[in-house]
Amino acid sequence: MGAPAIRTEDLSKRYGTVDALVGLDLEVAGGEVVGYLGPNGAGKTTTLRLLLGLVQPTAGRAELFGVDALRRPVEAHRRLSYVPGEATLWPALTGRETLHLLARVQGTVDEAYRDELIARFELDADKKVRAYSKGNRQKVVLIAGLMSRPDLLLLDEPTSGLDPLMEQAFRRCIHEARDHGQTVFLSSHVLSEVEALCDRVGILRNGALVEMGTLAEMRHLKALSVEAECDGTPPDLTGVPGVVSSEVAGHVLRCQVTGSVEPLLQVLAASGVHQLLSREPSLEELFLAHYGPGPAPAGTTGAPARDD
Amino acid sequence: MVIAGRTARRACRSGLLWGVIFGGYVASSALGYATTYPTVAQRRVLAGEFGSSPGFNALFGPAHQLQTVAGYTVWKALGVLSIVGAVWGLLTATRLLRGEEDAGRWELLVAGRTTRRGAAAQGLAGLGVGLAVLLGVTASIVVVVGRSPKVHQPAGASAFLAVALVGGAALFVVVGALCAQLAATRRQAATYAAGVLGASYALRLVADSGIGLAWLRWMSPLGWVEELQPLTDPHPVALVPIGVFMIVGAAATVLLAGRRDLGASTIADRDTAAARTGLLDGPTGLAVRTARPGIIGWWVAIAASALLIGLVAKGAGRTLAASSTVERALARLGARGTSADAYLGFALLIVAVVVALLAVGQVTAARAEEASGRLEHLVVRPVSRSRWLAGRLAVAVGAVLVAGVLAGVGAWVGAASQGASVSAPALVAAGLNLCPPALCLMGLGVLALGVVPRAASGVVYALVGWSFLVEVVGGVVGSNRWLLDTSVFHQMAAAPAVAPDGVSAAALVGVGVAAALVGGVAFVRRDLVGE
Repeated sequence: MGAPAIRTEDLSKRYGTVDALVGLDLEVAGGEVVGYLGPNGAGKTTTLRLLLGLVQPTAGRAELFGVDALRRPVEAHRRLSYVPGEATLWPALTGRETLHLLARVQGTVDEAYRDELIARFELDADKKVRAYSKGNRQKVVLIAGLMSRPDLLLLDEPTSGLDPLMEQAFRRCIHEARDHGQTVFLSSHVLSEVEALCDRVGILRNGALVEMGTLAEMRHLKALSVEAECDGTPPDLTGVPGVVSSEVAGHVLRCQVTGSVEPLLQVLAASGVHQLLSREPSLEELFLAHYGPGPAPAGTTGAPARDD
Repeated sequence: MVIAGRTARRACRSGLLWGVIFGGYVASSALGYATTYPTVAQRRVLAGEFGSSPGFNALFGPAHQLQTVAGYTVWKALGVLSIVGAVWGLLTATRLLRGEEDAGRWELLVAGRTTRRGAAAQGLAGLGVGLAVLLGVTASIVVVVGRSPKVHQPAGASAFLAVALVGGAALFVVVGALCAQLAATRRQAATYAAGVLGASYALRLVADSGIGLAWLRWMSPLGWVEELQPLTDPHPVALVPIGVFMIVGAAATVLLAGRRDLGASTIADRDTAAARTGLLDGPTGLAVRTARPGIIGWWVAIAASALLIGLVAKGAGRTLAASSTVERALARLGARGTSADAYLGFALLIVAVVVALLAVGQVTAARAEEASGRLEHLVVRPVSRSRWLAGRLAVAVGAVLVAGVLAGVGAWVGAASQGASVSAPALVAAGLNLCPPALCLMGLGVLALGVVPRAASGVVYALVGWSFLVEVVGGVVGSNRWLLDTSVFHQMAAAPAVAPDGVSAAALVGVGVAAALVGGVAFVRRDLVGE
């Protein structure tokens, strides 16, 4: 493929006094599927807006397939599609008209694939956009992004508003894109989504890239949230292998476990548990468990343009 | 009460600003008259000339007792401020009710304890607070002006004048609120409400044109306001239809709000349509497709108002021919002719404002594309921002030029049908003469879009409002030259009374082009920003 699909050097963005992104060095090779994780406000959307030339960087540079993304945006955009997380479209156009327009503007479209996507996402394309629900509008921008089969897909929390069935359809599309050799850069705050799709993961926190590696290398982040209601006082979990944080409130115990849960279960079973809940922790909980509270993330930095 | 509070807060801010403008307009009319026509003899001449002119009566409403400060002030302020207030009312109501709803801000609130009906009632209550502020500020200024020895009006009479001045705004707040329930989008609601305003104005105009149809005045909301006749011959009885209309309209608004779904319309609107992709081949085609309904509406309004002005031009011109005072007043606006042309030169100024509104509306529409995020779908694809902006501006310039031709043709058809001696080419030239100020304002709007995007629509409408007030108030009262020069309309020759001035037209367009270029460069280089 030659030049990497995405390459940034010291890419930074400051809004007023808030650093939305600080010195990002990122490289994504052609054909890779990369997840971009971080809590809300970490700088994911800012990164994508910089790559697309929608906002100007305070410092640094970005290249897409070796083309300067900031100085020659039109050329850079020929090989990519972008799917935003929240879609505002022209209310008077129908879904089909919107797709026609965006295909003509893009310059390329695989019409058979477009029709297949419309069927797969069960989109009623003859409805006007103003009659669509949020999920249906999201389907339109997803189909618009996928239908040109671009070399690079930039996706910003693309499944927001989709029901679980459609999320499955979306995952299938991403697998197909990978099989076609397309590069995918997927921003998300849902760990399981990234886990199911991506070869490599970057983790962003307070505008800085804190981790970048394969999923295997990220194993240490994998954890389970456990909530147990005990008959008596909950047991002391200090020294139990795998337990990374725990707190007690009356008879209720909450903790996070990495690796095997067996040691924890043994301790709990011995002290009489009558209810046990476990679930995948949210990304925020993971961050808290792994990095500690840290400085409060600047809540508004991620999406400065959408503050309503 | 969250919705009531939100709506009231925003309506109050706007009501406060417009109250000051209303009050200032009345103050400048009253004090300006006292200064410009200090003697009884001068005032009698003025009254004799304007009082019997069907053309001016039709445009601004009939004149009573023009030989008094009170009569002149009412004639000067009531007609103009009723329309300005009506436009304010319908835009404020549709923006704060339908606009908020379209943006999805009500969904969360209505999903809670508030019903749809309750939400509409709260919205109306908030708008009522805004109207009260508008009335309060206007009344305060008008009462203070009335106490000036030059004007000398009792506080009660001044307060009644303030009520009449705010009448148009009050009526059309209700019209806007009702249309917000009937239509499917904010823009559609505003279009319906503007149609009601246009029909009201046309009915009032025909009623006052002296052709024996005066009873039509009672069919028009603007006619009721005129019937109040504050200061000169107060008719509080006309408050009855105004009050009934407002109560019935508000009740219908609440009722209809309960009958429809949030985000839906009462008047059936097709939600599905066969694809029409003829124009959807690029950003410029999209601009044509999305702006077309609005632009056609403006064209109809411009052609119709020019036609009406043309219809009354002959009668008005005859009166002018016998007038020296009016001629002097018009001479300050640049008009020197003494025929129908002189009247047209003055009256087309109003059409120039409408053409300017069409032009700056295209700039705010471009800004809305950016603010909503719709622009992003285009510029993340191989479309440069400059290509997008240039395409939109080309569509806007075309719309303005067509509007100019329509204004000229409309005025000619109207005037020629009444046998006035006017030439078609001269009137089309006069129509096109309305374009340079509009293009200048459009260029300044692009500058605002590039440099202060979030404030751009405020800036452009402030420029239009300022230019209009300075020219209309200043032109008749005869104020400071430097002040007058800040109005783009003052730079426009009053064609067809005088020949269009190529130099000032080129200067206006030049300023517009230069501003648009600077604004365009700034726009291409800056961050895209939301609301």
